[in-house]
Amino acid sequence: MQLQIRNISKTYPNGVRALNDVSLTIPLGLFGLLGPNGAGKSTLMRILATLQEADSGTAHLLPSTGSGQVIDVLNQKDQVRQTLGYLPQEFGLYPRVSAEELLTHFALLKGIAERRARREVVEALLRQTNLWDVRKQKLGGYSGGMKQRFGVAVALLGNPKLLIVDEPTAGLDPAERVRFLNLLSELGENSVVLLSTHIVEDVSELCSRMAIIDGGEILLEAEPLRAVDALRGRIWQRVVSKDEFQKLEREHAVISTKLLAGRTVVHVYSEAAPGPGFEPTEPDLKDVYFSTMAGHVGRRREKTEVGA
Amino acid sequence: MKFREIFRFEVAYQVRRRMPALFFVAVAAGAFLFVRGNYLADAMYADFYVNSPFVIAGVTVFCSLFWFLLAATVAGVAGARDGETGMHPLTYTAPVGKAAYLGGRFLAAFVLNALILLGVTVGVLLAVYLPGVDPAAIGPFRIAAYLTAYGYIALPNAFVATAIQFAWAALSRRAIAAYLGSVILFFVAYGGMILMGIFLENRDLGALLDVFGHVYITSEAVLGWTPLEKSTRLIGLTGWLLGSRLLWVGIALGALAFTHARFRFAHPMANPWWSRLLPFGKRGATPRLIPTLTTEGSRLAAGATSLPEMRQSFGFPLYLRQTLAIAGASVRASARSLGGFVLLAALGTLALFVLILPEHLHSMGTPLLPRTEYLLTFLTSPLTNPFTPWVVTPLFIVLLAGESVWRERQAGLGEITDAAPVPEWVNVLGKYLGLAFLLVAWMALLTLAGVLVQVRQGYDRFELGLYLRVLFGLQLPEYLLFALLALAVQGVVHQKYVGHFVALLAYVFMLFAAWLGIRHHLLVYGSGPGWTYSDISGFGASLGPWAWFKAYWVAWALLLAVGAKLLWVRGKETTLQTRLRLARLRLTRPTAWVASAASLLVLALGGVIFYNTNVLNDYRSDFERAERRAEYERRYVRYAKTPQPSLTAIALHVEIYPERRAVDLRGTYRLVNQSQVPIDSLHLATVPGSVTAVETGAFTFDRSAAPVLADDALGHRVYALREPLQPGDSLRLGFEVRVRPRGFGNGGVDPFVTAKSTYFTNDDWLPALGYQPRRELFKPGDRRAHGLKARPLIPTLADAQANQDLTGEAHHERTTAGGIAFEAVVGTSADQTAVAPGALRRTWTERGRRYFRYASDAPIGSDLRFFSAAYAVHEEVWKPASGPQRPVLIQVFHHPQHAANLDWMRRSVRASLDYYTRAYGPYPHGYIRLVENPGRGVGMHAEAGTIDFTEGFARFDPKSDPKDLNLPFAVVAHEMGHQFQPSYALAEGAGLLTESFAWYAAMGVVEKTYGREHLRRLLRFFRQPQPIPPIRQSVPLLRAADPYAAYRKGPFALHALSEYTGRERVDGAYRRLNEKRDAGLPPFTSLDLYRKLRAATPDSLRTLLHDLFEANTFWELKTERVAATQTKAGTWRVTLDVRARKVTVSPAGVETEVPMDDWVPVGVFAPTGEGAEFGQTLYLQRHRIRSGPQTLTLTVPGKPADAGIDPYHLLIDLEPFDNVEKVKIEN
Repeated sequence: MQLQIRNISKTYPNGVRALNDVSLTIPLGLFGLLGPNGAGKSTLMRILATLQEADSGTAHLLPSTGSGQVIDVLNQKDQVRQTLGYLPQEFGLYPRVSAEELLTHFALLKGIAERRARREVVEALLRQTNLWDVRKQKLGGYSGGMKQRFGVAVALLGNPKLLIVDEPTAGLDPAERVRFLNLLSELGENSVVLLSTHIVEDVSELCSRMAIIDGGEILLEAEPLRAVDALRGRIWQRVVSKDEFQKLEREHAVISTKLLAGRTVVHVYSEAAPGPGFEPTEPDLKDVYFSTMAGHVGRRREKTEVGA
Repeated sequence: MKFREIFRFEVAYQVRRRMPALFFVAVAAGAFLFVRGNYLADAMYADFYVNSPFVIAGVTVFCSLFWFLLAATVAGVAGARDGETGMHPLTYTAPVGKAAYLGGRFLAAFVLNALILLGVTVGVLLAVYLPGVDPAAIGPFRIAAYLTAYGYIALPNAFVATAIQFAWAALSRRAIAAYLGSVILFFVAYGGMILMGIFLENRDLGALLDVFGHVYITSEAVLGWTPLEKSTRLIGLTGWLLGSRLLWVGIALGALAFTHARFRFAHPMANPWWSRLLPFGKRGATPRLIPTLTTEGSRLAAGATSLPEMRQSFGFPLYLRQTLAIAGASVRASARSLGGFVLLAALGTLALFVLILPEHLHSMGTPLLPRTEYLLTFLTSPLTNPFTPWVVTPLFIVLLAGESVWRERQAGLGEITDAAPVPEWVNVLGKYLGLAFLLVAWMALLTLAGVLVQVRQGYDRFELGLYLRVLFGLQLPEYLLFALLALAVQGVVHQKYVGHFVALLAYVFMLFAAWLGIRHHLLVYGSGPGWTYSDISGFGASLGPWAWFKAYWVAWALLLAVGAKLLWVRGKETTLQTRLRLARLRLTRPTAWVASAASLLVLALGGVIFYNTNVLNDYRSDFERAERRAEYERRYVRYAKTPQPSLTAIALHVEIYPERRAVDLRGTYRLVNQSQVPIDSLHLATVPGSVTAVETGAFTFDRSAAPVLADDALGHRVYALREPLQPGDSLRLGFEVRVRPRGFGNGGVDPFVTAKSTYFTNDDWLPALGYQPRRELFKPGDRRAHGLKARPLIPTLADAQANQDLTGEAHHERTTAGGIAFEAVVGTSADQTAVAPGALRRTWTERGRRYFRYASDAPIGSDLRFFSAAYAVHEEVWKPASGPQRPVLIQVFHHPQHAANLDWMRRSVRASLDYYTRAYGPYPHGYIRLVENPGRGVGMHAEAGTIDFTEGFARFDPKSDPKDLNLPFAVVAHEMGHQFQPSYALAEGAGLLTESFAWYAAMGVVEKTYGREHLRRLLRFFRQPQPIPPIRQSVPLLRAADPYAAYRKGPFALHALSEYTGRERVDGAYRRLNEKRDAGLPPFTSLDLYRKLRAATPDSLRTLLHDLFEANTFWELKTERVAATQTKAGTWRVTLDVRARKVTVSPAGVETEVPMDDWVPVGVFAPTGEGAEFGQTLYLQRHRIRSGPQTLTLTVPGKPADAGIDPYHLLIDLEPFDNVEKVKIEN
């Protein structure tokens, strides 16, 4: 099972170029799509979830063995939907319906025809998402996290072979987040799971592969661990005061800063030691992300090199 | 400051939405169409200006109704946008007070709505001044006319409607609720009208409850204006109009105050929105702790997780279940989100019917039997009929369809459901079935309402099968067709309110397509000829055409459904271009099959229908139909004065084949030249139209004649006689007419012959002699439009007399004064009874058919009617007490179930014969026959020896309570009166010889049978403005031709004269005319009668006679004050301050005061017992009353309670309520 995305572009009627020649190969397992707000993540995910049209390009769901059927994601919408789980970034629920009732309804919509099977599935999912005790409650009284978990339950209905989850952990508390990520990784054993997020930890903890997207373009497609490895020895850290920071920013390729006890911790990308006060630091996925965004790694760097 | 910014932002925001502009255009278009479609023709006809204040006010009222159903979103969005968009956390927490927030929003909505209603003004101006209006119909431009209509009607309407819509929206936090507010207000508006119609004594309440001014504008206070007043008089903010404006503005302010009090800057709770509309009750849900994470949850979170196996099975069985699930969810959601409202509406409707309809089961003050066929007329309405309260049903459908389609998206579930593996057709069908279920439930509710009404009335023939067939078999399909349209529109238009707008626009088009000149039912969605039902003829032949058209529209609906499937918005792509591309993906093989099959059906059914309506039948627009009449006049009017022989005898053979809906007529006319000159050519009028179900064959003559002209299209033939017909000579004319059904037309099937009943007149099919003036166009506007000169509606008295002198006959009536000898053999199917004019001579059965031979036993008029149905017959013989009169066989032919009122019908006939044979001369026939015929209305009609009445008349159910007026008894006596009326020339003043006489005669029967008090009850009914409102400006009775003169003023005048001179004198005048019936004289005019009346009236009453008949006189009698003191002798001295005035009114409305010095009755009455109008009469004498104020002093024996002048309203006074006053006792 593999999702192959080739040269997808999408421009909105108002002229915003949401996706520009995006190609990705997404194998079985969890695939993290990392990018800032407005990068085009949701557009790509909606296109894959049959809700939006691409201007050009193709997407195919390839079977794991040679015998299965290739699904043209952009044109065979009905087939895609039969094996799709989708959790949009934002969604609402009918306020005056109970979780159990609505999930049962969705189970039928998802093709679980048999009444008993439906009941079992609904129960299992409600337990999984820890909503069993509140299953009789009206959804209007649910907290943000509960709503999010309910959405997860809907997305998991029907054991989807293609699971698309758009920033699923945004509204979850830490415990719920862990639990949900566990669920996802379990699903990833048999399914293609595409997870978009701007939380780097989600990807580093779970995903075997990832891509960084910004401005509608894929800047980097890699395995997180390897990407981190490739950065080893190039990230330097220095703790400075606010006054020093401005000078430092002019002289060095700062990729990220964060505050620590009132002082600024600066990460700088440099292939050689950038100078006094800097100490080498063990890179993590965040550094990969910021380096890529800053154009030190990945497609953006290639471009500048070609341009130069 | 904040208020101003909120106001400014709201206006700017809404203007950007472009909806207000759309509404403005729609309202302007509505006004334009209403002026051009409704008022222009009226204006031309009734001679008022099309831009008169009266018209502008009417258009404003109509457009207000239209606007507030259409544009509720303006107030809705202003009131509920923040909650709906989720903006409320930001706006509610801003430091803005409730007053500024709500006030700014409301004011913005109100200003926008006020601007939208300016569209009325624009529309009227365009309608008046754009080309296409006869300049003669346009009066001078008056800014005040527009300002008063806008200021007194539009602006208050905008305020009231906006306030109520805003209140609903703001309190429910749902914009859609504004529509519900509108619909409820609409119900109230209609309710007011119904109230007014029912409780006649509560008309004032109806006028006060008038939300939009429609009661006012349709009240007789306004409709009774003279043409001059209509053209010039401005709407005044006075009386009930002012009252209702104040009341509703007050209610609106109350609603705003309530909104201010109940509105909370708070997060919406999950409890139903309507709970906020309740003044008391729970506010918000009780707080409850919601476990966000149980300990168990934490444990599980760390542990392993596993999902059960989920077997999916896609395929048709699943899709079916999904369809039903979506339908079920849709119904449940409607019930939940609109729950309170739906329940309210349902119960309200039930209550409305069960409580109010029985009150409506009255016609002219007489109770009606709640027969199922009758109740169904209240419960059903064709989809395309705008003039029924049921227009709310399609409005509901539009709202429900919008909610159904937008439910997921509104809840934010759109992306999830759109990505679910549900085919588009399952979604569309599921939502449609949901809507359909609600409609089925609605029909069930209406059925229940009908049955409950019958139960409440103690009526027990429920005919459930009929309810089911009509409501579920005929009414439901109409709504289902519309529901599909509404759903498809909402699915395809990607904006809820635009969707509402488009669907409503489609509905308005369906309602008013005819006004736009689009009349063919193949062109207006869901339309078609209506069905009819009557107990006698069942559905007749109306179901066939109905079904063809509905099948045709179902085929279109299928295409619509396919279109909806292909273009349904799913996901984020909303541009049409992308959706068209997607549609290609969705065009699967089955879809293509359905589409092709539906297209084929549309073509095939459309073809069959077109063949029927336009090939087998003659399809003409109204204009073309009128043009045919105009062309007839242009071509043949020159023969109008050509002498023609008179019809003296008819012999007919009629074969009716009910099951084939066919009739064959063969017959001969005997024609006599009663003129002074030889006649060399015969002009014969046949049924016009070259494509018609009625074929008139060649005419045959008993002498040599050659056809000169056969114009079948216009229905005129001319034969030249080789030998002219000399004065006094006669000839025989033979003819054959074949009537065969020819499919159906755009309007359905002619109802003349159905399997169960047949009813036709000579005018329908039989040839007539000479040029037919009745085919001429008579409305002034129509005549102008077709280039014809104006003509009087009816021949003038002078003309009638001139004609008498010239040809010995009246202009219109070509029968001799002596009448016609008639005989006929009528054959019909074995189970039916046929009725024709004349006495029944013989009946027999031949080849499985029944035959009846009728022959006149005395000459009859030329009004011939034929009936056939499975009648039950009641027979009895009336024998005269004495004299030369022979016995009369009374027969009532009626539907077997319609026997409830048989008894008083025959009693009325007997009482009439008793009275009339003595008062007006012998009854010429040996039989009198009452025949029921199918059809709506409550009418009765008299021709010689026969009175026919509609099934509606058989619905009257006068209670045995002697205090109630037995109007049907009086109506039968009236029709019996026609049997005794003098022969008359159809000209001005003829009413005095026909309708006025018949009512005057009936009064005698009523008084004789039920007593004087009952007669006064009848007169009280006559003085009510319904169903015949008074007309003040007119010609004198001798020349009058309007219904008020014929049915009200004429009888009043004759009654007054009989009270003053004695009934015998007035009766005698008529009797003397009748005595000359057989003298071979020409028919009489009102002047002939007047001569007889003069001869019978003493000199002292000549002025009265003149005032009643020779002038259009109105008395204005008023008792201003009555005081009484007891004398020492124990008697009472009564002093009356009265005021009198006498005026004549010209047709143009000019009043001239006439000095008065008349004998007027003065009455003093003791305190009343219960029920009676007055107590015992203490004094009743005539006094001479002069113009102006005067004081009368009388002495009466007992204690007086009421006193006044003309207490029983003998003199014609349009303000009769001030004649009698309560007596003030002084000591």
